[in-house]
Amino acid sequence: MKVNPSVFLMKTKPVLKLLLEKLLEQYDYVSILATDSQAKSYSVSRRNVRISQDGMLTNRGFVVKVSDGGRYGEYSFNHISEEKINEILAGVSRALVASNQVVAHGMCENRYSVPVEEPTVFVGATEYEVDPVEMGDDAILDHLRRVMERGLAVSEQLIDCHVACNYQKYSKIFLSKNKDLEQHVMWMTGMMATLASRGQEIKDYHKGYSNLGGAEVLRKMEEDVEECARVAVELLESESMVPGEYDCICDPGVTGMIVHEAFGHGVEMDMFVKKRALAEEYVGRYVASPLVTMRDGAASACETATYFFDDEGTMAHDTVVIDNGILKQGISDLQSAMILGTEPTGNGRRESYKRKAYTRMTNTFFEGGNSTKEEMIASIQYGFLLENASSGMEDPKNWGIQCMVNIAREIKDGKLTGRIFSPIVLTGYVPDLLKSISMMSETVELGGGGFCGKGYKEWVKVSDGGPYIKARIRLG
Amino acid sequence: MIKQILKAIERANIAQYYINSTETQSIESFFVRQRLDLTRAVDTTEYMVTVYRSYEKDGRNLLGASDAQIYPGMEMEEIEAALRSAYHAAGFAGNQSYELYAGTKEEYIHSTSGLAKQSLEETMAQMTEALFRVDTKEDVFVNSAEIFAIRQVHHILNSCGVDISYETYQVKGEYVIQCIAPQDVETYHSFSYREPEVEALHRDVEEALAMTQARAQAKQAPQAGEYRIILSGEQMNTLFSYYVSRSGSGMVYQQYSNYQVGMQVQGSTENVKEGDRLTIWLKAKDPFSSEGIPMKDRVLLEDGVLRTIHGGNRFAQYLGIEPTGFYGSIQVPVGEKPLEEMKQGAYLHIVSFSDFQMDDFTGHFGGEIRLAFLSDGERVIPVTGGSVNGSILEVQDRMVFSKERYTNSRYDGPMAVVLEGVQVAGA
Repeated sequence: MKVNPSVFLMKTKPVLKLLLEKLLEQYDYVSILATDSQAKSYSVSRRNVRISQDGMLTNRGFVVKVSDGGRYGEYSFNHISEEKINEILAGVSRALVASNQVVAHGMCENRYSVPVEEPTVFVGATEYEVDPVEMGDDAILDHLRRVMERGLAVSEQLIDCHVACNYQKYSKIFLSKNKDLEQHVMWMTGMMATLASRGQEIKDYHKGYSNLGGAEVLRKMEEDVEECARVAVELLESESMVPGEYDCICDPGVTGMIVHEAFGHGVEMDMFVKKRALAEEYVGRYVASPLVTMRDGAASACETATYFFDDEGTMAHDTVVIDNGILKQGISDLQSAMILGTEPTGNGRRESYKRKAYTRMTNTFFEGGNSTKEEMIASIQYGFLLENASSGMEDPKNWGIQCMVNIAREIKDGKLTGRIFSPIVLTGYVPDLLKSISMMSETVELGGGGFCGKGYKEWVKVSDGGPYIKARIRLG
Repeated sequence: MIKQILKAIERANIAQYYINSTETQSIESFFVRQRLDLTRAVDTTEYMVTVYRSYEKDGRNLLGASDAQIYPGMEMEEIEAALRSAYHAAGFAGNQSYELYAGTKEEYIHSTSGLAKQSLEETMAQMTEALFRVDTKEDVFVNSAEIFAIRQVHHILNSCGVDISYETYQVKGEYVIQCIAPQDVETYHSFSYREPEVEALHRDVEEALAMTQARAQAKQAPQAGEYRIILSGEQMNTLFSYYVSRSGSGMVYQQYSNYQVGMQVQGSTENVKEGDRLTIWLKAKDPFSSEGIPMKDRVLLEDGVLRTIHGGNRFAQYLGIEPTGFYGSIQVPVGEKPLEEMKQGAYLHIVSFSDFQMDDFTGHFGGEIRLAFLSDGERVIPVTGGSVNGSILEVQDRMVFSKERYTNSRYDGPMAVVLEGVQVAGA
């Protein structure tokens, strides 16, 4: 089934076109992005149940972007009608007047050209199997409750099994002088987190699920919950890691975190504009083992960051960032591409219509290799299997790594010993880690359960992943 | 619009509800070096309506809640349909029954902030000047910056008499400082003020420039091992967030935390001998919580003993305690030891992490070191790289707080703390 368009946006489109006409009378370049997004979150735990609209993902509004003699301004608003058009024109003008006041205090302004746009008319919609709205709130909550109860039954040491899911169904219209684009997209994710305690100590384990689609994603959760519960209990026996550099195997989630946090942020080309990314100097050079090919793009995979066009009206790309170890190119929003003289890659994304567009990752991953996970474990004399990525922080300027992982399973003489260590911090220098990759498994897995921030804000949905990889990593 | 929403609520026969509306105007500027790259204006009004439904299941009285976002310009039929849908959903999301917070109609509270006395554009120009005033050097400079000047009007009303509205002003943002010699490095900084703190921003940028210059000198990572570490600045709030989080009524009710009022939560009474006793105040920044609960300053911890379980209305009723609303700011009394005295002997003073994190469940804290000063008791060298991996449960008995104060919008307290015996994964 295809996702239906927003009735509101379809009804509003003629007014948006009228607004576009009026704005084009005054400005060199005008674009309007209209969004109507419905998102719902469901959550159950032992003593709490919740259904709510997701405040960050549920929104309906508009952003106008204009160029006035090379300088750009934006106006975000959420009330439109024919009668309101003059008010909106005044709001657009306010953005540029504010710019005058800053300039009056001694600042210069960046001046840009007007983007060259091929005439394009496009309508696209993603597909789903089970519409969460049709499935119904009661059926979704019942499913989550079943999963929770099955998890809690595993051990008396479990203090909770938190099971949640959410979906976003959105429509966007992008209008400019030469573009008339529409897209209708839905993704859905699931999550379970089990908590086990012994005295004061609490350990947790989590697992995520995601798809570009609907409630079909929930099916697998019930099968996995007992394992999720057992690992949380197992973590109560975990030891502290002795800091050092080890041979490691990363599961696809940890690989994804490394791809995304350690390298992906560094190839966001708005960072090239600011001279904040070391990667700019390494285009055309080896930055990783020849085994490594990395891709990013809304058209690279079918996951939660898949769309047809970005928030600046650039069609989705499938960008090869690293090709057999050589850094080929970065990913870019439209404005950065104009400064750098490059092609935009469809990575201009906004947290919502209320926020600025930045260069953002989408579906980011390493391609697979030709080993098996078992061969990789067998190849290690002493090291760790790293599982359950928890968080990471980017450092595009210096390529430092900070990734947190929940579990390191000890490997000795090619076998898992059963000893586990937690929590684990991965540190080091990105090219050292990427160049040390010596084996990669065949199967690639992507996870789109999380959100990505730019620094500490601007959250957008992303997916990342890859195969199991073997690398030399500093652990703490 | 609120009248329309109330009418739709009546038509849908919904007896219990909250309406939270937020009107936002902002001016935003984005800079690359000293060049203005983009200016934005935002003008939105958002209405979040939460509806409640009482029902009985398996002999238990339950109250379910769900919500609906209502947009300006929505027609009555659309509003009613959204509310009916939310009310239907609330019938499946039942928790143990409770009463909504009961309040009264209050006068609109105008902001008394200095920011309210000027336009958002004037605030923007003023803070831009403050941020770039000391940006005069070739080798260390403001790489990029973002400034947001924001006015908001909040209106909260519910079916139990709450009807309050107030205005807030804020100016916030972030900036990156770059130093290109002897090596090219950068540091990230953020700010958030409710007053036109021009001089504070100016001073912060000045310190950030100096700190980034030091970072450019740092080349090696500390050796792996156990250190007497000093944390300072932004990290202080993250460190203390463990106690704030674990004393939240949601954590306590769900039994994720065993905290109880009167409990010695900073280690045991006998053990806190060598270190300072911790007192934390929850500071009210807004006049009301999002449920309309009047906010006031409260003591959370007093000499390491828990005095308040804090949080919203629902969990407070379950626990039989007073609802306090949610706090985003704390105050901690400073210690007696000057920072310079803390630096006697060997230490590792970490002034910047890539992302310092605290795990509220386990008490583990850590992060990758961006800049630290390593002293062997005689020589001090800047270091970078490696990571800290500690546990608040292991260090809380011997924490020593500095005499110097550090303040931002979320924290006011000692500038630094000494933590003994913390593991560092280094070179």
